[in-house]
Amino acid sequence: MNERSNEARLQRMKAPPPDSQARLLAKRAALTEFARVQAAVAANDNVDSQASAAPQRLSRQEGRGRFAMNWLVPRGWNGAFASLCVVALGATLLWPIVSRNIDPTKLPELSTDVDDARVAVSPARAEASSGEIEQPAVAPTTAAVKQASEAPIAPTGADAIDTRRRDERSGEMLAQSFESETLGPVVIDAIQAEDIGKFPDSNVAESLQRVTGAQIESAPTELNESVVVTGHRGSLQSAQEMKRESGIDEVIVTGARATGNAKSRNPKLAASAPAAPSYHYSRDGRVQTLILTQPPASPAAEDNDKFRHFEGNPIKQVVQDPVSTFSVDVDTASYAFVRRALNSGSLPPQDSVRVEEMINYFDYAWPVPASRAVPFEPTIVVSDSPWGKGRKLVHVAIKGYEVPRDEAPDANLVLLLDVSGSMDSPDKLPLAVQSMELLLGSLKPTDTIGIVVYAGAAGMVLEPTPISEKAKILAALRSLTPGGSTAGAAGIELAYKLAEANFRKGGVNRILLATDGDFNVGIADTEQLKGFVERKRENGVMLSVLGFGRGNYRDELSQALAQNGNGVAAYIDSLSEAQKVLVQESSGTLFTIAKDVKIQVEFNPASVAEYRLVGYETRALNREDFNNDAVDAGDVGAGHTVTAIYEITPVGSGAASVDPLRYGSEDKRANSGKQSEYGFLKMRYKLPGESRSKLIERPIPLSTDASALVSREVRFSTAVAGFAQLLRGDAYSGELSFGDVIREAQAAKGDDEFGYRTELVQLVRKAQTAKGM
Amino acid sequence: MDLETLIRRAQGGDAVSFEELLDLHYDTIYRFAWKWCGHPTNAQDIAQLACIKLASSLAQFRFQAAFTSWLYRLVISCAQDWQRGQRRHEHDELPEDEPASETSSAEDHIYLAQLIEQLAALGEGMKETALLVHAEGLSHAEAGLVLGVSESTISWRVHTIRKQMNRQSKDAGARTGVVA
Repeated sequence: MNERSNEARLQRMKAPPPDSQARLLAKRAALTEFARVQAAVAANDNVDSQASAAPQRLSRQEGRGRFAMNWLVPRGWNGAFASLCVVALGATLLWPIVSRNIDPTKLPELSTDVDDARVAVSPARAEASSGEIEQPAVAPTTAAVKQASEAPIAPTGADAIDTRRRDERSGEMLAQSFESETLGPVVIDAIQAEDIGKFPDSNVAESLQRVTGAQIESAPTELNESVVVTGHRGSLQSAQEMKRESGIDEVIVTGARATGNAKSRNPKLAASAPAAPSYHYSRDGRVQTLILTQPPASPAAEDNDKFRHFEGNPIKQVVQDPVSTFSVDVDTASYAFVRRALNSGSLPPQDSVRVEEMINYFDYAWPVPASRAVPFEPTIVVSDSPWGKGRKLVHVAIKGYEVPRDEAPDANLVLLLDVSGSMDSPDKLPLAVQSMELLLGSLKPTDTIGIVVYAGAAGMVLEPTPISEKAKILAALRSLTPGGSTAGAAGIELAYKLAEANFRKGGVNRILLATDGDFNVGIADTEQLKGFVERKRENGVMLSVLGFGRGNYRDELSQALAQNGNGVAAYIDSLSEAQKVLVQESSGTLFTIAKDVKIQVEFNPASVAEYRLVGYETRALNREDFNNDAVDAGDVGAGHTVTAIYEITPVGSGAASVDPLRYGSEDKRANSGKQSEYGFLKMRYKLPGESRSKLIERPIPLSTDASALVSREVRFSTAVAGFAQLLRGDAYSGELSFGDVIREAQAAKGDDEFGYRTELVQLVRKAQTAKGM
Repeated sequence: MDLETLIRRAQGGDAVSFEELLDLHYDTIYRFAWKWCGHPTNAQDIAQLACIKLASSLAQFRFQAAFTSWLYRLVISCAQDWQRGQRRHEHDELPEDEPASETSSAEDHIYLAQLIEQLAALGEGMKETALLVHAEGLSHAEAGLVLGVSESTISWRVHTIRKQMNRQSKDAGARTGVVA
C-alpha cells in the first residue's frame, strides 16, 4: 500500500548534516540578536512606562480585551454571527476589526476605557439578505502614538468573497486594505483581518509595523493574548481544546453564514468545514492568535466524515479456499451517503461505498415463505456475469415476511437525540425532528415513545408517552433546540434506563440514536461504548443509529454500534429518506424477525474454479463462526430483503484469472463428484428471543429457472452491484461502464412505486458527470 | 550542566550559555528545517531565522513544555514565515531561487520533495503533523503540544493524511492507466 510506503519514506527521511559555514553564520546572527535583545531589556528596565512595555497598562489592556471578547461572544445580532477579530495592542494601539452586521452604535463602548487609543470602525455594507460569506472585515487603525488624527474613519466594507481559496485572497485583502486607506476621510492605514495570518509576524504589533506610519517604539514584548477564530464546528472544537490546554485567554469563534437561505438560528454552525486550523502565532511557547477562516459548505466538508477502510473482496480459488462465510447486512447508510455526495457533485470517498448496502437499499420482490414458521426462504438464481465474460453470478437472496401493522408487537421506543450546537443545521436536528414526526405516523396508538437529549447535559425531555398523546409528543419534539457543546453526558445510560423502566416483554424495546457523529453520549471510550450497547442488548433493549448531516459523520462507529445493538444503521440525508426508513420500512427498522443471520457457501471444486463475494467485506466471518451461536451477526427485520452476489468462474469456462499449475495436481477436482451443483448454501438464524440457531440448507444448481419477476430483480440488483463497484474503483468490474449500468437499471426498473430505482439511474448519471470532471 | 540550568542562564542574559544552547540544538533545528523544505540552502535560511528567533524569544520559554517541543514549534513558525516571504518574492516576480543543490540519492530526494509538497497541499498543519509524527517520531500527544492542538486533532490529521495520500496515489494510478 502506497501510503504506508509514504509514511515509511518519511520515517526513513534523513537530513544531511548542516553546512558548517551556514552554522557559523546562523550562530553569529543569533548572538547579535541575543545581545540586542539583552540591551533592549536593560534599557526597558530603566525607562518607566514608555511606549510599549508598561505592565500596569498591559494588564488593563488585557482586561479590556477580555471585556471586548465577552461582549462579542454572545451570538447573533440579527441572526448573523459576525466575523470579527478584536485584538488589543500595547499601550498605544487598539485595533478592532469588525465585520458587517455589528451594530456600530455599540462600538464606542469598546473604546471608552482606552484613553490614548483610537478606535475606528467600519460599518460594513450590510447585505444581510445575501446569505453570503461575511468574512471581510475592515480594520482601520489609527496609526501610532504621534499620529493623532481625530476623526474616526469609515472606510468601506468589502463585498462577500469566497473564502475557500484563502491563499489567493491574500492579495485581495491587501487590495481592500489599500482601498480602505484611500476611501477613508482621513488617510489611515488599515490591515484586513486576514492579513494577520498572512504576514510572517509573530504578533499583531509586528503586523502593525507593516503599516506605514504605525511605528512601535521598541520590539513588542507582551501583548494581549487572544485567540480569534473564524470557523466553526471542527475548528471550534480545536480552538476550545487549545484554549483549555494552553491557557489562552480568549477564544472567539466566528464564522460565515451558510450560503442559501439557511434558517438556522445560529449561522456560525450552519455549515460544516474541515477542522484545519490555519495559522497560529507562536510566541513564548503559547498560542497568541489563531485565525481560522471557514469555507462555505463545500464537498470538502466530507473530509471529516470517518469511514472504516477496507479493500474489495479478492477472487478466491475454490481448490484452496472453498468456503465463504459472512453475516447478512441490512444497513443502507452507505447508499444514502453516496447519494448525498453525488448530489453535491462529487464522487463519494471510496470507503463510504459498501456494495452490499448499495444493493440492499432497494426492496426486491424475492419470494417470501408461505408460512410464518420460517422467517424467510433463500432464493438462488444463477445468471451470466455482465462484467466478466464466461463468468456467472450467483444471487443468494432472502426476503423476511411482512408484519401487518395491527399484528406488530408493542413498541417501547426511546429517542436519544444529539442536540449539541453541531446539530444546528437544517439537515441535522430539524430533519431529525421531522423524521421523528414521520415515525409517529407509523406507530400504533398504544406504542410509547420517550425522548432523551444530550448535549452539555443529558436530560429527559419526555417520559415514555403513548402515541395516542400525539400532541404532547409533538410539542416535546418541537421544543428541542440545539445548543451547547457535546461535553460528556450520561445520555445513553439515561436512555437505557428509560427503556428498561418501560420494558415491554415480547415487544420491541429499542433506542433510536440520532446524531451527526458526536457520540459523546457519556461513555467516552468507543470499545466501552460498544460493550455497553452489547450488554444491554442481552437485556432485550436494542439500539439503532440514525445518522444526520455531513462533515463530522462517524460512519464506522455508527455501524459498529448498530451492529452491537442488533439494530439498523441508516443515514438520513433527506425527508424522503426518513420516509423510507421510518415509514415504509418502519416494521423492518423496528421489528426483528430473525437475528444473527449468517450465510455460508461451500463451492464445488468440480464445477467452480474461482469465486468472489461482491461486497460484504466488512461483514466477513470466519468459517468456524458459522456454527458458533455465540458469534453475533446481522439481523433481519420484517420485510427486509438481503441480497448477496457471488461471481463465480465455472471450471472449463476459460475465464479463470489464474493459469493452471504446471506441477500441481488437478486430480482433487475430478474426484469430488456432484458435477450438477456449483455449491451448497447454508444459512443460520435465530428467532427473536431464542438463543439456538436454526439451519437452512440448499444446493446451488448449475442453472435456475427464475420467474420473469425474479429475473428482473436479479438484473436490477446486478446493475446496482456494478455501479457500486465502479464507484469503489475495484479492479473487478471489467469493461462495465456507467452507461451499461444506466441501460440495465432502466430496463429492470419495474413499477418503481416510490421512485427509488429511478433515482438510482439519476445518480449513475451524476457519477458519470462527476467522474468526467 | 543540565539543559534547564543552561536555558535559565541564557534567559538571564548569559551569552556563553546561549551559545552553548545554540551549539547543542543547531543540528536539531537544521535537520527539522531541512525536512520541512527538503532543500539545503533553504533549510539554512530557516535555521538561521530560527536561531535569531530563539535569541529574541528564549525569555518566553517557561518550562511548561519540553524544550524540544517548544523548539519544533519555533522552527515551524520560522519556516512558515520564511515561506510567506518566499511567496511574496515570487509575487514580485523576483528571480527564482537558486535550484536545489546537488545531493546524493537525487531520485529519492525528488520524490521526498514531491511528498512534502503534497503534504503541504493537504491543508495547513498537515505537513507539520506528518513531519512531526512520521519523520520525527513524536507521539500524537507530543505533536499536539508542538502544534498547539489536541491529540485527537493530530490523530485526525494523521488519518486524513493517510486517506488522502492513498486516494492521491490511486488517482495517479488511474491517470497513468495503472489499475490498482
